[in-house]
Amino acid sequence: MKNELPELRAARGWSQGDLAEALDVSRQTVNALERGKYDPSLPLAFRIARLFGRRIEEIFHPDEA
Amino acid sequence: MVKAETNDVRGATPGATLFGLYWLALTAALGGNLLVRLAERGQWLGGPGRIALGVAAVLPLVVAAVMFWRLLRRDLDEMIQRVVLEGMAFAMIVYVPVAALYVNLRTAGAWVPRLDPPDLLLLPALLVAIGISVAWRRLQ
Repeated sequence: MKNELPELRAARGWSQGDLAEALDVSRQTVNALERGKYDPSLPLAFRIARLFGRRIEEIFHPDEA
Repeated sequence: MVKAETNDVRGATPGATLFGLYWLALTAALGGNLLVRLAERGQWLGGPGRIALGVAAVLPLVVAAVMFWRLLRRDLDEMIQRVVLEGMAFAMIVYVPVAALYVNLRTAGAWVPRLDPPDLLLLPALLVAIGISVAWRRLQ
Protein backbone atom coordinates (compact mmCIF):
# COMPACT_ATOMS: atom_id res chain seq x y z
CA MET A 1 0.00 0.00 0.00
CA LYS A 2 1.40 3.40 -0.98
CA ASN A 3 1.31 6.25 1.47
CA GLU A 4 2.20 9.88 2.02
CA LEU A 5 4.03 9.29 5.28
CA PRO A 6 7.53 10.31 4.11
CA GLU A 7 6.20 13.59 2.67
CA LEU A 8 4.06 14.37 5.72
CA ARG A 9 6.91 13.58 8.06
CA ALA A 10 9.41 15.62 6.04
CA ALA A 11 7.02 18.57 5.92
CA ARG A 12 7.17 18.69 9.71
CA GLY A 13 10.90 18.21 9.83
CA TRP A 14 10.60 15.03 11.84
CA SER A 15 12.98 12.11 11.75
CA GLN A 16 11.68 8.56 11.60
CA GLY A 17 12.55 8.31 15.27
CA ASP A 18 10.43 11.38 16.07
CA LEU A 19 7.46 9.91 14.24
CA ALA A 20 7.98 6.55 15.89
CA GLU A 21 7.95 8.19 19.30
CA ALA A 22 4.78 10.13 18.50
CA LEU A 23 3.03 6.97 17.33
CA ASP A 24 4.44 4.79 20.11
CA VAL A 25 5.95 2.30 17.70
CA SER A 26 9.51 1.36 16.80
CA ARG A 27 11.57 3.26 14.25
CA GLN A 28 11.78 0.05 12.25
CA THR A 29 8.00 0.02 12.01
CA VAL A 30 7.94 3.60 10.71
CA ASN A 31 10.60 2.64 8.15
CA ALA A 32 8.57 -0.37 7.00
CA LEU A 33 5.40 1.75 6.80
CA GLU A 34 7.09 4.42 4.72
CA ARG A 35 8.55 1.88 2.34
CA GLY A 36 5.17 0.25 1.90
CA LYS A 37 6.49 -3.03 3.27
CA TYR A 38 4.05 -3.11 6.13
CA ASP A 39 0.39 -2.10 6.20
CA PRO A 40 -0.70 -0.69 9.55
CA SER A 41 -3.58 -2.01 11.59
CA LEU A 42 -6.70 0.13 11.63
CA PRO A 43 -5.96 1.55 15.12
CA LEU A 44 -2.44 2.56 14.03
CA ALA A 45 -3.78 4.03 10.79
CA PHE A 46 -6.20 6.13 12.83
CA ARG A 47 -3.37 7.29 15.12
CA ILE A 48 -1.34 8.31 12.08
CA ALA A 49 -4.28 10.14 10.55
CA ARG A 50 -5.03 11.94 13.80
CA LEU A 51 -1.39 12.93 14.24
CA PHE A 52 -1.23 14.54 10.81
CA GLY A 53 -4.77 15.91 10.88
CA ARG A 54 -5.76 14.00 7.76
CA ARG A 55 -8.20 11.27 6.88
CA ILE A 56 -6.83 7.76 6.49
CA GLU A 57 -7.61 7.63 2.77
CA GLU A 58 -5.68 10.85 2.27
CA ILE A 59 -2.56 9.19 3.64
CA PHE A 60 -2.85 5.57 2.50
CA HIS A 61 -3.66 4.54 -1.05
CA PRO A 62 -4.34 0.98 -2.25
CA ASP A 63 -1.78 -0.21 -4.80
CA GLU A 64 -4.39 -0.43 -7.56
CA ALA A 65 -5.49 3.20 -7.02
CA MET B 1 4.57 17.29 18.69
CA VAL B 2 2.70 14.58 20.49
CA LYS B 3 5.00 12.63 22.74
CA ALA B 4 4.27 9.12 23.73
CA GLU B 5 6.05 6.95 26.21
CA THR B 6 8.44 4.56 24.61
CA ASN B 7 9.74 1.34 25.94
CA ASP B 8 13.38 0.34 25.97
CA VAL B 9 12.42 -2.93 24.35
CA ARG B 10 11.62 -0.96 21.20
CA GLY B 11 15.27 -0.34 20.57
CA ALA B 12 17.27 -1.57 17.64
CA THR B 13 17.04 -5.25 18.51
CA PRO B 14 13.79 -6.14 20.24
CA GLY B 15 13.89 -9.57 18.64
CA ALA B 16 17.33 -10.11 20.14
CA THR B 17 15.99 -9.18 23.58
CA LEU B 18 13.21 -11.72 23.28
CA PHE B 19 15.39 -14.38 21.80
CA GLY B 20 18.18 -13.74 24.29
CA LEU B 21 15.81 -14.66 27.09
CA TYR B 22 15.15 -17.98 25.50
CA TRP B 23 18.77 -18.73 24.74
CA LEU B 24 19.71 -18.12 28.37
CA ALA B 25 16.89 -20.35 29.56
CA LEU B 26 17.76 -23.00 27.00
CA THR B 27 21.36 -22.89 28.15
CA ALA B 28 20.17 -23.54 31.69
CA ALA B 29 18.03 -26.46 30.53
CA LEU B 30 20.88 -27.93 28.51
CA GLY B 31 23.28 -27.40 31.40
CA GLY B 32 20.85 -29.28 33.61
CA ASN B 33 20.62 -32.05 31.05
CA LEU B 34 24.42 -32.33 31.01
CA LEU B 35 24.58 -32.42 34.80
CA VAL B 36 21.91 -35.13 34.94
CA ARG B 37 23.91 -37.24 32.48
CA LEU B 38 27.14 -36.72 34.40
CA ALA B 39 25.36 -37.56 37.64
CA GLU B 40 24.02 -40.75 36.14
CA ARG B 41 27.41 -41.81 34.81
CA GLY B 42 29.29 -40.83 37.95
CA GLN B 43 26.58 -42.13 40.25
CA TRP B 44 27.02 -39.11 42.51
CA LEU B 45 23.32 -38.28 42.51
CA GLY B 46 20.43 -40.68 43.02
CA GLY B 47 17.37 -41.03 40.83
CA PRO B 48 15.17 -38.55 42.76
CA GLY B 49 18.03 -36.06 42.83
CA ARG B 50 18.52 -36.33 39.08
CA ILE B 51 14.81 -35.86 38.50
CA ALA B 52 14.78 -32.80 40.75
CA LEU B 53 17.79 -31.40 38.90
CA GLY B 54 16.12 -32.05 35.55
CA VAL B 55 12.95 -30.26 36.67
CA ALA B 56 14.84 -27.34 38.23
CA ALA B 57 16.85 -26.81 35.06
CA VAL B 58 13.65 -26.27 33.09
CA LEU B 59 12.23 -23.64 35.46
CA PRO B 60 14.14 -20.78 33.76
CA LEU B 61 12.37 -21.75 30.54
CA VAL B 62 9.02 -21.36 32.28
CA VAL B 63 10.06 -17.92 33.55
CA ALA B 64 11.33 -17.02 30.07
CA ALA B 65 8.03 -18.15 28.55
CA VAL B 66 6.07 -15.86 30.87
CA MET B 67 8.41 -12.93 30.18
CA PHE B 68 8.27 -13.69 26.47
CA TRP B 69 4.48 -13.58 26.52
CA ARG B 70 4.42 -10.30 28.44
CA LEU B 71 6.94 -8.72 26.09
CA LEU B 72 5.05 -9.95 23.08
CA ARG B 73 1.65 -8.76 24.25
CA ARG B 74 2.49 -5.51 26.00
CA ASP B 75 5.82 -4.12 24.94
CA LEU B 76 6.27 -4.85 21.26
CA ASP B 77 4.55 -2.83 18.59
CA GLU B 78 2.32 -4.49 16.06
CA MET B 79 4.92 -5.00 13.35
CA ILE B 80 7.50 -6.52 15.69
CA GLN B 81 4.77 -8.76 17.10
CA ARG B 82 4.05 -9.89 13.57
CA VAL B 83 7.73 -10.60 12.92
CA VAL B 84 8.02 -12.72 16.06
CA LEU B 85 4.76 -14.58 15.42
CA GLU B 86 5.73 -15.23 11.80
CA GLY B 87 9.05 -16.59 13.04
CA MET B 88 7.25 -18.94 15.41
CA ALA B 89 4.82 -19.99 12.70
CA PHE B 90 7.72 -20.69 10.34
CA ALA B 91 9.36 -22.84 13.01
CA MET B 92 6.18 -24.82 13.58
CA ILE B 93 5.53 -25.29 9.87
CA VAL B 94 9.04 -26.59 9.26
CA TYR B 95 9.56 -28.51 12.51
CA VAL B 96 6.46 -30.73 12.41
CA PRO B 97 7.06 -32.32 8.98
CA VAL B 98 10.80 -32.60 9.59
CA ALA B 99 10.16 -34.30 12.92
CA ALA B 100 7.59 -36.63 11.35
CA LEU B 101 10.00 -37.49 8.55
CA TYR B 102 12.78 -38.14 11.03
CA VAL B 103 10.60 -40.43 13.13
CA ASN B 104 9.35 -42.37 10.10
CA LEU B 105 12.82 -42.79 8.59
CA ARG B 106 14.21 -43.94 11.90
CA THR B 107 11.33 -46.37 12.37
CA ALA B 108 11.87 -47.68 8.84
CA GLY B 109 15.48 -48.42 9.67
CA ALA B 110 17.00 -45.80 7.38
CA TRP B 111 20.16 -44.11 8.54
CA VAL B 112 19.40 -40.84 10.23
CA PRO B 113 21.65 -38.85 12.54
CA ARG B 114 21.12 -39.71 16.16
CA LEU B 115 19.41 -36.82 17.90
CA ASP B 116 19.85 -36.26 21.61
CA PRO B 117 17.31 -34.39 23.76
CA PRO B 118 19.45 -31.23 23.57
CA ASP B 119 19.21 -31.34 19.78
CA LEU B 120 15.44 -31.55 20.03
CA LEU B 121 15.48 -28.47 22.26
CA LEU B 122 17.74 -26.43 20.04
CA LEU B 123 16.16 -27.19 16.68
CA PRO B 124 12.89 -25.27 17.28
CA ALA B 125 14.85 -22.33 18.73
CA LEU B 126 17.07 -22.31 15.66
CA LEU B 127 14.05 -22.46 13.36
CA VAL B 128 12.37 -19.57 15.19
CA ALA B 129 15.56 -17.54 14.74
CA ILE B 130 15.59 -18.31 11.03
CA GLY B 131 11.89 -17.48 10.74
CA ILE B 132 12.33 -14.15 12.53
CA SER B 133 15.29 -13.29 10.28
CA VAL B 134 13.28 -14.08 7.16
CA ALA B 135 10.27 -12.04 8.31
CA TRP B 136 12.50 -9.17 9.41
CA ARG B 137 14.30 -8.99 6.07
CA ARG B 138 11.02 -9.02 4.21
CA LEU B 139 9.64 -6.09 6.17
CA GLN B 140 12.74 -3.89 6.20
